[in-house]
Amino acid sequence: MDKKLITLNEVSKVFKVGEENFTALHEVSLEIDSGAFMSFVGPSGSGKTTLLNLIGGLDVPTTGNIFFKERGLSSMSREQMAEYRRENIGFIFQTYNLLPVYSVYENVLFPLLLNGDKEKDVRDRVMENVAKVGLTDQFKKRPAQLSGGQCQRVAIARALVKDPLIILADEPTANLDTENSLQILELMRQLNQQYQAAVIFSTHDEKVTRYVRREVKLEDGRVVSDKNNVNGTA
Amino acid sequence: MNWDIARKNFYRQGMRAFLNVLVTALSIISLIFMLSLLNGFQAQATRNLVATDVGGGHYRAPGFDILSPTEWEDHTLKAAESLLRLSDKDKAEVLIQQGQLYPNRRLYPVQIRGVSMEQSLLNLPLDNLRKYGKQIEDVIPVVVGVKMARKAHLKKGDILTLKWRDRSGAVDARDILIVDVGDMVNPRVDDGVVWLRLDHLRSMTDRQGEVSWVAVREYMGPVEGFEFQTVDALMADLLALLKQDRINSKILWTILMILVCTSVFNTQILNIFKRQKEIGTLMALGMEPMRIVRIFTLEGALAALWALVFAVLLGVPFFIWFQGVGFDVTHLSEASFPIRETIYPDYQPKEIFYSLLIVVFLVVMAAWIPVKKIIRLDPTLALRGRAIT
Repeated sequence: MDKKLITLNEVSKVFKVGEENFTALHEVSLEIDSGAFMSFVGPSGSGKTTLLNLIGGLDVPTTGNIFFKERGLSSMSREQMAEYRRENIGFIFQTYNLLPVYSVYENVLFPLLLNGDKEKDVRDRVMENVAKVGLTDQFKKRPAQLSGGQCQRVAIARALVKDPLIILADEPTANLDTENSLQILELMRQLNQQYQAAVIFSTHDEKVTRYVRREVKLEDGRVVSDKNNVNGTA
Repeated sequence: MNWDIARKNFYRQGMRAFLNVLVTALSIISLIFMLSLLNGFQAQATRNLVATDVGGGHYRAPGFDILSPTEWEDHTLKAAESLLRLSDKDKAEVLIQQGQLYPNRRLYPVQIRGVSMEQSLLNLPLDNLRKYGKQIEDVIPVVVGVKMARKAHLKKGDILTLKWRDRSGAVDARDILIVDVGDMVNPRVDDGVVWLRLDHLRSMTDRQGEVSWVAVREYMGPVEGFEFQTVDALMADLLALLKQDRINSKILWTILMILVCTSVFNTQILNIFKRQKEIGTLMALGMEPMRIVRIFTLEGALAALWALVFAVLLGVPFFIWFQGVGFDVTHLSEASFPIRETIYPDYQPKEIFYSLLIVVFLVVMAAWIPVKKIIRLDPTLALRGRAIT
C-alpha cells in the first residue's frame, strides 16, 4: 500500500491584506505519510494554520500543487472539495467549533449523517467514540454545559468517528490547562496508534512537540526544519 | 436530513426563534385585520347607502341633478304606471324640492324630501311621520337626522318656519314641527335634509302624483319618460372614495409587508452573522455550501410556517372577539361616510388565503436572499467568525 498520503509541491499562499499582499507560505514542499503523528510548529504568523487549511481543503494555494494520494486538490470543484473533507479529513479546532444546539452525541453523530449514514445504524459506533473520549456520562449535554477540555474531547470524537485518513488539529491545546492538554495529547496518540489516521497538529505548544514523531518547523512561511523521530518514538 | 437539521436548529434556538415567529405572526394578524376592517368599512358604507337612498337604482325625471338645487322644481314627473304597479317593498317614490328653514331667525337652505309612507324599500327612521294623516293640519310634521339637528340646533318638538315654492313659483311658508330626530346613518339623506310625508309635500307644492325619482329594488327595463340611474352611477362618489381607500390600503399593506420581510431578512442576516463559525464548521465537516443555504432557508421557512400557526392561534380568538365589539368610528360618521358608529371586519377567505400565500412567499424569499451570502463565504474566515464583519 502506498504510504504517501499528502504531497505538497512548492505551495505558496498569498493573502491580500488591504492594499498589501501578504505571503503566508513560500514554496513549501512536503510529503506526509498515512499514520503520521506530526506537528507544524512555529511562532504566530509562520503559516501553520494556513498549511493546515490547505491540506484540509478549506483553502487553495496561490501557486503550487497539493495532492491527496495521486489526486490534485486544486483541480477539485467546491463540491468535490466538500466531499474530500467529508470523507477523508477530521478537523479539531482551537475553539472546538462544536455545533452549539446539538448534544455531545449529536455532535459526534453529525459527520456520519453527512456521509449518508442512518442514525440507527451508527448509534453504537457513535457511543463507542463518545466512550473513548470519556464522555459517556455527558452524552446528552450540550457544549455550553461542558468544560473546555470536555469540548475538545467531543471535537476529537467527532473528528475520529468517521475513520478519516487525516486528522488536522489546529492548536488543540491552546485553550486548555496543562492537565487537560496532556490528557488530550495522550488520547490522540492512543487513537493514532489504534486508527492509523495521520494526525497533524499546528501548534507552538511545547507539550505537543514532546508527543509527536515528526516536527516541521516553519518561520515566515518557510520550512526551516523537518525532523523525524524527534522524540524517539518512530 | 436537511429538514431534520433545520428543524433541530430552529427549535433549539428557543426564545430567539419564538420572538421572530411572534413578530411575523403579529404582522400577519395586523395585515388580515387591516384588510378585513377595510372590507367591513366598505361593505357597511355600500350597504347603508343602498338601504337608505340608492336601493337597486333610481328611475329619475330626466335632467334631475341632485347637485343643482335651483333646478329641482323643473325636473319632476308623474310617476309612471309601470312603476306605481310595483309593490311598496320594491319601490320608494321620492319628491325633492328646495326650501329654506328659519331656525332661531337664521336662514338655513334645506332639501325637502318627501317619501311615501307605505314604502319599505328604503330603511329610514320615519315612523313618527306615519302617525299623521294625509291632510296637513296646523303644522307640517317633519323628521330630521341627527347631523342636521346638531348643525341647525334643532330638537324634537321644535316648531319653526319652512319656506318653499309651489308648482306655479309662488312662495309659501308654514310652521313645521320636528316630530323626531332620527339616526339616518347616511349623511347624504341627513345633512341639510328635511323629511316629510310625500303626500304632504305634494300637496304643499301642488305636485299631485309627481316624483323626482322612484327608487326600485331592481332594474325593470326602460320606463317611458324616466331615465334609469344605476347603483354604480348613484354611488360613484362613494365608489371613487373607496377605490382611493383600496389604493391607500395597498400602500399600507406594502409597508406592513416590507416591515415583516425586513424583520425576517434582518433575523437571517443576524443568524448568518452570529452563526458564521457554525457555518464554517459545517463546511469543514464537508457540507456543501448549497446544502447549508437550503438548511438556513428551511429554517426561515419553518419560522414562516410557525408564524402562520401562531397567527391562527392568536388571530382567530382576536378576530372573533373583535367581530363582537367592532371598531368605533364615530369620527367618520361625522364626515361624509355612510357608516354607523361601529364597523365590523368583513373577513374574506379568498383574500386572507392569498395574503397568507404572499406573506409566506415573501418571508421565504426574505429568508433565502441573505442566506445566499453563505455560498460566497470563505470557510477559513467563517471558522474564525470573520467572514462577515
